[in-house]
Amino acid sequence: MILRGLLLVWIAICIVLAFVWAPLVPVLESTTRVLYFHIPSAWVTVLALGWSMVASLLYLRTRNMAFDDHAATAAELGLLFCICATVSGAVWAKAMWGAYWNWDPRETSIFFLLLIYVAYMALRSAIDEPVRRARLSAIYSAIAFVSVPFLMFVVPRIYFSLHPDPLINTRGKVDMDPRIRIIFYGMLLGFTALFFWLLRLRVRLLRVERRRAEAAPALEEARA
Amino acid sequence: MNIKAILAVVLLIAAVAIGVTSFRKSVTPYISFTEARRASGLVQVNGVLADKNYVLKRDEQFLEFKLKDSKNEVLPVVYRGVIPGNFDQAVSIVAIGHYQQDHFEAEQLLVKCPSKYQALAEKEARSS
Repeated sequence: MILRGLLLVWIAICIVLAFVWAPLVPVLESTTRVLYFHIPSAWVTVLALGWSMVASLLYLRTRNMAFDDHAATAAELGLLFCICATVSGAVWAKAMWGAYWNWDPRETSIFFLLLIYVAYMALRSAIDEPVRRARLSAIYSAIAFVSVPFLMFVVPRIYFSLHPDPLINTRGKVDMDPRIRIIFYGMLLGFTALFFWLLRLRVRLLRVERRRAEAAPALEEARA
Repeated sequence: MNIKAILAVVLLIAAVAIGVTSFRKSVTPYISFTEARRASGLVQVNGVLADKNYVLKRDEQFLEFKLKDSKNEVLPVVYRGVIPGNFDQAVSIVAIGHYQQDHFEAEQLLVKCPSKYQALAEKEARSS
C-alpha cells in the first residue's frame, strides 16, 4: 500500500519537474519532454519481453504454471508499453519531422515488434488447454525475443533513420543536460517500478483464478 | 536429439535466414539517388544539404535546394508547401516525391533534428 503511494508520488513529481524544472533543448523545444515518456516506454517494452522470455524458458524447464503466468503477463505488458512507445513516437514524429508515419526503419522495426507479440496473444487465445497453451506460447516467446535486440538496437545503428541517434553514444556516455538526465532517469525508474507493480498484480490474479478453477470440482462435491 | 527435432531446427534457421535477407532490403524506405531517378511512383530519398545556397520563399511556400547523399551525389530538389520550421538546422533531410526531368519534386519534407539534449543557456555560456 505504502509502495503504491510512493510510486504515485514519485511519477507525479517527475512529471511536474519535467514541466517546471527540466530545460527544453533547441530545435526540439516543447517536444523535448516526449523523451521522458517515449524512451521509458520503449525500455520497459524490452524489459518486459525479456522477462517473458526468461519466464518462458523457466516454464519449459520446470513446468511450473507460475512461470507461464509471468510469461503471459510480461508479454501483454510488453505489448502495451510497445503501443505506448509507438503512439508517442508517431505523435512526436508529426510534430518534429512532419509526418506521423513514413516507414522509417525505426518505425518499421517497432511495427514488426508489435506484430510479433500480437501473434503471441493470438496464439494464447487460440489454445484452450492450459498446459498445451503454456508450452506452445513459452516456445514462441523464447524464440520471439531473439528479434528484439536486433530490431531495437541493431537496426537503428545500421540504417539511416530520422529518429534521433541512440542515447548511449559510441563513447558509452549519455550526452544530456544534467537536469534532463535526472528527470529522465527518474522516469525510467518510475516506469520500471510501474511495470513490476502491474506484473505482480496480474500474476496474483492469474494464480487466484487458477486456484479457483482447480478447486471448483472439490467445491461442487462438497455442495452435493 | 531425434531426427524430427533436428529437421525442425534446420527449417527454422532456413526460415529465419530467408526472413532476415528479405527484411534487410525492405526495412528502409530510403533509396539511392540513382534509383530515385529511374523509379516511378512515390519514393523517399535522404541526404544532407549540399550547400548553403538554397532558395527559400516561405510566404510563397517555395523551397529549392540540393541534397547530397553519403556517396557525395547531388540531387536538386524542389518543394512546394509548408516549409518545415527547422529546415536550416536540419542534420538530415528526407524528401518524399517523384523525380521529374531535371529535379526531384518533393511532396513532403521530413527533417532530422540534432540529437543534442543540451539546453541553449548552457551552450551559450560555454561558448562565451
